[in-house]
Amino acid sequence: MNSQRDLLSTTRFNIRQQRVVRAWQAGLLALGLGLWEGLTRVPWFVAHTVFDPFFISQPSRVAQRLWVWVQPGPDAVWPHLWSTLQATLWGLLAGVGSGFAVGLLLGRSRMLAQVFQPFIVAFNSMPRIAFVPLITMFFGLGMTSKVVTSWFVVFFLVFFNTYKGARSVEREMVDFCRTLGGSKRQILWRVYVPTARSWIFAAVPNAISFALIGVLLAEFVGSTTGMGYLMTTALATLNATDMFTAVTVLSIVGIALVTATAALERRVSRWLPEFRE
Amino acid sequence: MIVLQGVGKDYAGRPGIRTAVGQVDLTVARGEFVSIVGPSGCGKSSLLHIIAGFVAPTRGAVSADGKPVDGCLPQALGYIFQKDTLLPWYTVRQNIGLGLGFHGIKGARCAQRVRQLLEMGGLTLAANAYPYQLSGGMRRRVALLMSLAVEPRVLLLDEPFGALDMHTRAHLHGELAALWGRLGQTIVMVTHDLDEAVLLSDRVIVLSGAPSQVLAEEVIDLPRPRDVFGVRETAAFAKHTRKIWSVLGA
Repeated sequence: MNSQRDLLSTTRFNIRQQRVVRAWQAGLLALGLGLWEGLTRVPWFVAHTVFDPFFISQPSRVAQRLWVWVQPGPDAVWPHLWSTLQATLWGLLAGVGSGFAVGLLLGRSRMLAQVFQPFIVAFNSMPRIAFVPLITMFFGLGMTSKVVTSWFVVFFLVFFNTYKGARSVEREMVDFCRTLGGSKRQILWRVYVPTARSWIFAAVPNAISFALIGVLLAEFVGSTTGMGYLMTTALATLNATDMFTAVTVLSIVGIALVTATAALERRVSRWLPEFRE
Repeated sequence: MIVLQGVGKDYAGRPGIRTAVGQVDLTVARGEFVSIVGPSGCGKSSLLHIIAGFVAPTRGAVSADGKPVDGCLPQALGYIFQKDTLLPWYTVRQNIGLGLGFHGIKGARCAQRVRQLLEMGGLTLAANAYPYQLSGGMRRRVALLMSLAVEPRVLLLDEPFGALDMHTRAHLHGELAALWGRLGQTIVMVTHDLDEAVLLSDRVIVLSGAPSQVLAEEVIDLPRPRDVFGVRETAAFAKHTRKIWSVLGA
């Protein structure tokens, strides 16, 4: 009885604390937007500081532009957003899939790992962004270049995490499964894959933003649709409002994707203490 | 029956070669419970690894039921490691069913067998828990049940109770003795707890420091079934432990 009451009061305390945190967050956001909006309306600031709507636009203008963008019509953002999103998802899928497979392969074979070691280190230390123009030259101004670019940046990230995950499998666990009659293949699925899986989930939030960055870069370098295309067009016409609106849309997309994978991780990782109900 | 003839194991080290196991001859009869004790670093665990076929010996030969074990796993073997080897992403029920799945036993037959094992280990209520939710003693019990699921004829135990508190350890001693009395596996256990060795075994093998060889063999003729709590008080128990201590030079 007593402990139940304690539990109840602790929960109440936690809820109250959470409300305070949320209130602070909302307040800070409002303060930031308010300053941005307010200062860009004061002539002195516009003339003497960076708070010039020509350069940094205004929240109200961004909101208005966003409203135009979501309406159907010639200014609709949807075809561009869809193009970027599609490329990001394909690149992410290809990068995570191939990174996982290769990481698992090299993580299990000491021989292969030794052979490929220097190449992997070399590839990883290369500035991968430098390949974007080359990829665009190879695959043209379309979906393919965008997907390849985002695959290229995601692959190594996931590969390294999976590789480390597979190396971290304890020998005893594998030997134990062998005594239970597990074949190599069964042990791969029951031991290596789940271990490596929890390592990739650690890399996925980064992989998402990498994939998005890859697609945007490919779009900057050359494309005819996409959020990156919108942004380079906005640069050509010196339209700060369009740029900020595009950034807003991309942030929303990024947050949505990361939240979705976090939910997925909670579902498949119930065995980890931090995900207990 | 497990037979070791002149078994030795060297490891490459710095400088040169380090001989862990010098020369060990040992025969374990079917259904016998043998414990191996010795100073730390004398290659007790190496010996168990060799019997299990995880590694090949440098010298000598090992056979199980007449078939040579040379770096490959003999059939029907259970091995309990010092470390936790439960798969943390599976529940207790799934862990215990793991070996059955490896052997292609699925569905109702698997569920039925797992239910029996859970009952035997007193873990029915914890069936759906994940390993992180269990105590150390419960995890050991699950590991044992995982092995027993595939009905091994030989059980190799590598300091199975080393990481447990005294109370839990004493209880598990009782459970292991009872299980063994019922199932009658051949058991080889490595331990550094002399009391534990005398308490549970038919025979205790005392190894010397590395490079190890068999210093002495003590046949434990305490009556069975043993009361693992009461037997410690008896004069016979004290006599056996004193004798082993004298060989180890304590």
